[in-house]
Amino acid sequence: MAERHPGSRPHLAPVTDPDPPPAIDTLLAAVARSDREAFTRLYDLVAPRVYGLVRRVLRDAGHAEDVAQEVMVEVWRAAARFDPARGSATGWILTIAHRRAVDRVRSEQAAADRTVRVGAASVDTAYDVVADEAATRQEVRDVRRCLDALTDLQREAITLAYYQGRSYPQVAELLGAPVPTVKTRMRDGLIRLRDCLSTAVTA
Amino acid sequence: MTADIHSLVGAYALDALDDLERAAFERHLRDCSDCRSDADEFRKTASRLADGAWSVPPPRLRDSVLAQISNTRQLAPSSPDPVPARIGRIDQPRRVRLITAAAAVVAAMAAGTAVYAVQDRRVRQEQSIAEAAQDSEARIRAILAAPDLTLREQPLTSGGRVTVAVSRLRNAGVIMLAADDAPARGRIYQLWTIRSETPTSAKALTEGESTAVQIVEGLPGASAVGVTVEPAPGSTTPTTPLDALVTLT
Repeated sequence: MAERHPGSRPHLAPVTDPDPPPAIDTLLAAVARSDREAFTRLYDLVAPRVYGLVRRVLRDAGHAEDVAQEVMVEVWRAAARFDPARGSATGWILTIAHRRAVDRVRSEQAAADRTVRVGAASVDTAYDVVADEAATRQEVRDVRRCLDALTDLQREAITLAYYQGRSYPQVAELLGAPVPTVKTRMRDGLIRLRDCLSTAVTA
Repeated sequence: MTADIHSLVGAYALDALDDLERAAFERHLRDCSDCRSDADEFRKTASRLADGAWSVPPPRLRDSVLAQISNTRQLAPSSPDPVPARIGRIDQPRRVRLITAAAAVVAAMAAGTAVYAVQDRRVRQEQSIAEAAQDSEARIRAILAAPDLTLREQPLTSGGRVTVAVSRLRNAGVIMLAADDAPARGRIYQLWTIRSETPTSAKALTEGESTAVQIVEGLPGASAVGVTVEPAPGSTTPTTPLDALVTLT
């Protein structure tokens, strides 16, 4: 993220966490101690990722701004609850961001789906957006390549859920697949994705 | 949830569960450390999907956030009693949607794992409704905590959804209605349990209500739960087509 210089990291490092680890974790720990200065710096580092993710899921700049604000305020509020043993600070923040974006998109969908039946066309858009920004970044290429290595059903199930905020029963309906199958594909797709990403190396 | 709650771990990591399933899953995580590390691992992988998403926010966002945090109290390091936890404790001007309140009951038992899971943006229900549910809170809590809990959900034709939680062990169930809007004036939502093809009213909402959490004792004996829109104040037998039907068998 923020530093956006993937090349500055040691070559051939496993890409389990693409972020420069200390900065954000350290800042979040300071935020947990009510350090506003640290929060400001943390904001500058993570806000583009938070806003970018929320915007991708919501596809509406106005709502995205609103939700991104909620997310950043929640980061401030709940900073002391972050447990480094369970993952990186960036991961924690993105988890909050994704969940909030999904919550919002679901309540918007509830309204939209009443008038417009979800068409199969939406299936096509989810995946392509992976590559449309920052496509030169190695991490993004790794993700794209590893998504390509999934079966179609695994990939579609994962991208519809993650990028469009669809629930697994909705995904099943969109893909015309049985609900239990979709559940399983999400799980084994993520396992495959994890294994693929863990062998990826930054060039 | 019916079969193997652990099979939901992928959907959980992708935020593809609904509120109730998510809360139940997080409760499961509390008791299962292997599942917790699996879930963490899956979440980490899922977060990688955000890698390409990078977009510079408008500068005013920074100002609004910084202004807002100066008025926002921080949470203490994980306490066993997370934020909105209990239905009865609504000490902020927060309005809790009832179905969310029910999810909060489940999440309360997930002690700490669900801080942001249940607090809400989607929260637009009157406090009075949450208060009405308070009496039943203990019973709801017991039912939703049952190890054999199964959840079934159907969309309402009129918009929204109905979720039915059933426990054979408790020989009871909870019907949670979350309609997008109340029916037109003079009409109400009514919940039915269907046994031997005979519908019995489980609850008639009042005019203007769009959500309900209703305990139904003996629900495992029913074959289905139905929702209709009836003329106020309700009917003795359904007079309109089903707005939703949740089959229990």
